Amino acid sequence: MEFESIEDVTCRLERAGYIPSREIATVVFLAAATQKPILVEGPAGGGKTELARAVARCLGRDKIRLQCYEGLDEAKALYEWEYAKQLLYTQMIKEKINDLIAGADSIAEAVERIAEQEDAFFSERFILARPLLQAISSDKPVVLLIDEIDKADPEFEAFLLELLSEFQVSIPELGIRKARHIPMVVLTSNNYRDMSDALKRRCIHLYIDYPEPELEKRIIRLKLPGIDEALADRLVCAVNHIRELDMKKRPCISETLDWAQALMVLNIGELSCQAVSDTLNVICKYRADAQLVRQSMDKVLSVK
Amino acid sequence: MIDRLIQFVAACRAADLRVSTAELIDCHQHLQCVDLVDEARFKTVLRANFAKSRRDQAAFDRVYDLFFHGPGAGEDEDAQHLDAEAAADLLSQAGMGGDGLDAALLDFVTGDPASFLQVLKDLDQQADAPSASGVKSNLGQLAGRMQVMLRINAIQRGLARLPDGTGQAPAAASASRRLNQARGLLTRQNRPYNDGLRQVRSHHKHYQGLGEQPFSSLTPAEIEQMRDVIQQLVRKLKDRMGRRFAASRRGGLDVRKTLRRAGRFQGVPLELSYRRRPLRKTRIVALCDVSGSVWSAARFMLHLLYSLQDCFSSVHSFAFVSGTTDITEIFAHNEVNRALEKVLSSPDIGFDALTDYGEVFYEFRQHHMHRINRKTTVIIVGDGRSNYQHPRESILAEIREKARRIIWLNPEPEAFWGTGDSEMHTYKAHCHEVRTCQNLNQLIDFIEELVL
Ligand SMILES: Nc1ncnc2c1ncn2[C@@H]1O[C@H](COP(=O)(O)OP(=O)(O)OP(=O)(O)O)[C@@H](O)[C@H]1O
Ligand SMILES: [Mg+2]
Repeated sequence: MEFESIEDVTCRLERAGYIPSREIATVVFLAAATQKPILVEGPAGGGKTELARAVARCLGRDKIRLQCYEGLDEAKALYEWEYAKQLLYTQMIKEKINDLIAGADSIAEAVERIAEQEDAFFSERFILARPLLQAISSDKPVVLLIDEIDKADPEFEAFLLELLSEFQVSIPELGIRKARHIPMVVLTSNNYRDMSDALKRRCIHLYIDYPEPELEKRIIRLKLPGIDEALADRLVCAVNHIRELDMKKRPCISETLDWAQALMVLNIGELSCQAVSDTLNVICKYRADAQLVRQSMDKVLSVK
Repeated sequence: MIDRLIQFVAACRAADLRVSTAELIDCHQHLQCVDLVDEARFKTVLRANFAKSRRDQAAFDRVYDLFFHGPGAGEDEDAQHLDAEAAADLLSQAGMGGDGLDAALLDFVTGDPASFLQVLKDLDQQADAPSASGVKSNLGQLAGRMQVMLRINAIQRGLARLPDGTGQAPAAASASRRLNQARGLLTRQNRPYNDGLRQVRSHHKHYQGLGEQPFSSLTPAEIEQMRDVIQQLVRKLKDRMGRRFAASRRGGLDVRKTLRRAGRFQGVPLELSYRRRPLRKTRIVALCDVSGSVWSAARFMLHLLYSLQDCFSSVHSFAFVSGTTDITEIFAHNEVNRALEKVLSSPDIGFDALTDYGEVFYEFRQHHMHRINRKTTVIIVGDGRSNYQHPRESILAEIREKARRIIWLNPEPEAFWGTGDSEMHTYKAHCHEVRTCQNLNQLIDFIEELVL
């Protein structure tokens, strides 16, 4: 089921548990409509990975994920040839091979007969498909999530580029594989390094910023249905103030959610100085950051 | 619609966004397939196609506002729509000539900022050409901007002097407002968004005492002591590296090779062979400010880099004050401490000149840019104090495009960045990582992250 309109995207993503901003919905719609990959950037924990998951859920597609890291190569990303398995098979059918070449007059003829069976030796059976090949050869369209592409080496980026423009790969043992369905591709980046122009040209770009307060409130209400309205308001307000501080790591959506949950569990209904202080370690990963928030408590607790 | 879009792309390009024709076509197609219910949606579609990274979004937003909300966009209330002919007529009455700059200003007034943006861009580039007199002034860019500003002022004076009663006054006023906007562009500093920037403040106490002492206040005896500490540290790091490498270098079984060897033993795989995964090693290009106080931080960094040379695939280093000198050779042929002495006594480095980062970057681009590729980590050690010269940060942006990462180590405490003649905030916009590096402990943190 493809998306009909941008409003349809919004509506279905929300049903799948993801509250998109208008910008997110627009870009997702365009990407789906024109089969272009999306390159998503944004602060950590802003919902980049979750977006790909939610898109898969609401399109009813499988999600295939490739996590990138330094040193990731084709064998881990595309496929690996299983020599050991091939060898084992050959050993086990040794007898059969003997039958096959029994009565051959010359070596040349024996080789010829074996060659006729080549397909059996070089078949899909001995290929271990990794995420990229899985995504391409799946008989149903999928969502392919290539997570943290900025961690991969430039060589891998170049290889990926080829795949993203042709949607086919060449496997020496088997020949060229063309995608049965063009997957919906989502690439995420945390900006560790810059992407090449060539890659950027092939994608449409989406920057997911910290959400607007209204949106963040809706996310909290969605994930924690029992939460008190007033508390959610105060919480979002406080988090937004905290994000304005010069922190090592600014709290993201998942930290807001953790914080809300912690307050609910502790039965704290009022965001007081004491309450913030007690639960600060949930949103501040570094001691220096917690210190900073304590020092700026007045600002944090002020209502705009 | 498509014409307006093409015009807009021209403006984007003039503002240094690289938009390809393919992207223009994509964008046009995208605009067809959504309901353009409001402007926000329109802008989203354009931005998703023309600004392909967070860094570019700042420049995009600027051009977008200029183009769609700026002159000629019919935004400001009592704006008179100036068609090309009327505007040309009006401005020529105000004394405008017909050269390139005037034509660009005329376009700007009638709603197309592309050619004026191009003029600004050319001014930037022109500043890079050495002046004819051979005297280093680094002021070419300022002078060029001044010319443009004077021309705008002259036209505005002309507009104000137009005779009353011809009904031209409202048009003249709105043309003048648009020229104000053009002048604004001349003086505004534009920095790209750089929220991927890692700003590291380390507080690990590896060593008490000496480790916490600022580099700048070390006595000669303490520098001597420091050497031993560094030697120790290098041994420890190499040890850890060695173990780490040995463990991770062994990949899976290399079946092809194992089988080939098994042939020697009648098919029995007696000797197993493993795939060796070469670990990615970083190529380092280090640019070190060796003037005055910064030298003490730079020297220890160089010391560490060269003692750990085998942890990197290559180390290239340059010393600078107001020009760049390649000091790689000195380190290649001398023991580290000897090399450090030699750098200090090298006649090529003008130690008594004033530090000029703009000039340093310019020279680096002229002679050494080819050293940088996608595997290079560029490390700059310096305080960013450029004696109020033109910082030429656009060259740093260019280096960023070619390199893998740019890391800036500043031996000054963060509170001093951007004060006086420090261009640290200007340069920070183009770095991937910035760190204070005042003492050994902070340097150790950095080096550990770099090699491990
Ligand atoms: N718009 C949203 N609607 C609902 N939940 C959201 C939304 N945005 C973020 N979240 C929540 O935030 C959490 C973190 O998101 P996610 O893991 O996708 O972040 P990320 O951007 O991939 O982070 P990283 O850069 O660290 O990989 C998710 O588990 C999700 O519950
Ligand atoms: Mg993620």
